Amino acid sequence: MQAVYDRLVAVLTDKFQVAASDIGPDISLSDLEFDSLAVVELYVTLQEDWNVELEEDDSAAEMTLKKFAESVELQLRAAPSPTGQGAGR
Amino acid sequence: MTEHQPTAVISGIGSCLPPRVLSNEEVTRRGALDTTDAWIRTRTGIARRHQAEAGTSTADLAVAAGRAALRSGRAQADLVLLATTTPDRRCPGTAPEIAHRLGLGPVPAFDLAAVCSGFVYGLAVATGLLRSGLCARPLVIGAETYSTIIDPLDRDTAVIFGDGAGAVLLRSGDRDEPGAVQAFDLGSDGTGSDLIAIAAGGSRHPDTAGPVGRDTRYFRMRGREVYGQAVRRMTDSSLAVLRQLHWAPESIGAFIGHQANQRILNSVADRIGIAARHRFGNIREVGNTAAASIPLALAATVARQAVLPGTRSLFTAFGGGLTWGSVALHWPEAVPHTNAPETRMTASPAPRTHHKETRCKPSTTVS
Repeated sequence: MQAVYDRLVAVLTDKFQVAASDIGPDISLSDLEFDSLAVVELYVTLQEDWNVELEEDDSAAEMTLKKFAESVELQLRAAPSPTGQGAGR
Repeated sequence: MTEHQPTAVISGIGSCLPPRVLSNEEVTRRGALDTTDAWIRTRTGIARRHQAEAGTSTADLAVAAGRAALRSGRAQADLVLLATTTPDRRCPGTAPEIAHRLGLGPVPAFDLAAVCSGFVYGLAVATGLLRSGLCARPLVIGAETYSTIIDPLDRDTAVIFGDGAGAVLLRSGDRDEPGAVQAFDLGSDGTGSDLIAIAAGGSRHPDTAGPVGRDTRYFRMRGREVYGQAVRRMTDSSLAVLRQLHWAPESIGAFIGHQANQRILNSVADRIGIAARHRFGNIREVGNTAAASIPLALAATVARQAVLPGTRSLFTAFGGGLTWGSVALHWPEAVPHTNAPETRMTASPAPRTHHKETRCKPSTTVS
């Protein structure tokens, strides 16, 4: 879980230019002013990172980052052959 | 294609935008939409779009853009291919009437339905027909009047789409020439056929079955799912066509993506590895014009001489179907022309010998 959460934080700061000081486990994507397209962009980015298909959760924007990371972690475990962090583009 | 085979070369470029411009405020007010100009600009990159007047059809825009492309290319066409989602009538195809109104005689003419990918598909088909010897100067037109299929009360689509037409005239030429088409990648995935659709009006839900509600009568798009598909498909297709040619992404000097949404365009170009200075388009001014979007962006970019003719270029598109396609080419050196819509005098087709048409103003060079 921690690895997924850390990767999520890295993507939010590096790609989406979110200030690290604004990010925390109890903060939601909505708190970070992510709209629905930004949430999709985040999913697409994470899918490329892990080279797995992730089911987009309709309520992702309202989840805390901790919950979001847990949701992704569950899907990564269920994926047939995840290639690990950093795979893909 | 091998090095020594001739290929299609873009020798003429034409465009037509209806004179009426709709601001974001007007679209919002008309549909009583719960949105603002700032929201639309931030979310889509669109500031305004053009809308055809009532009674102006897709053919009226296509004839104007086609005539402009013929003037730009200083030649007549011997085949007309119309890519559109919004034909004048469900039957027959609109292209034969366009060919007639352009005075081209009994040339082959047909419509192609690949929604927003239609122009790239059309360019591929026309290139194939040219290379087969079936034609020598095909005219490929992307023309749309989405204002006739968009629900003004639907925030997801009403703010995005606009009307317009763009056209290119092709001729046979050498692969090294400016405007020379180099390679294509095309694809489709029918499992996503419900993501972008008009439910009624076809054989599955014929108009003759009785009245239908807004959700089935109008164009609908599941935006969030489309976003993810569009990003992945256009990125993968672009990389596939570049691989065919052994062109490195950083060697591309001009990139035009289907003008769907600025954020999709940015996302795709970032993933391919196209520098911001090499990305071109006009979504801010015209919105998403579906099959017309790439030729309209091409015409606008050529008109301001933003790219050196012969530059390695990449166009990519994604649309309903789902369909997608990419083309690699050399940037053309044709001087684009633009025309106002050529509205027919009569609402229904007149007998051929009595056919009348008016032109609003003569062809002019895009400024």
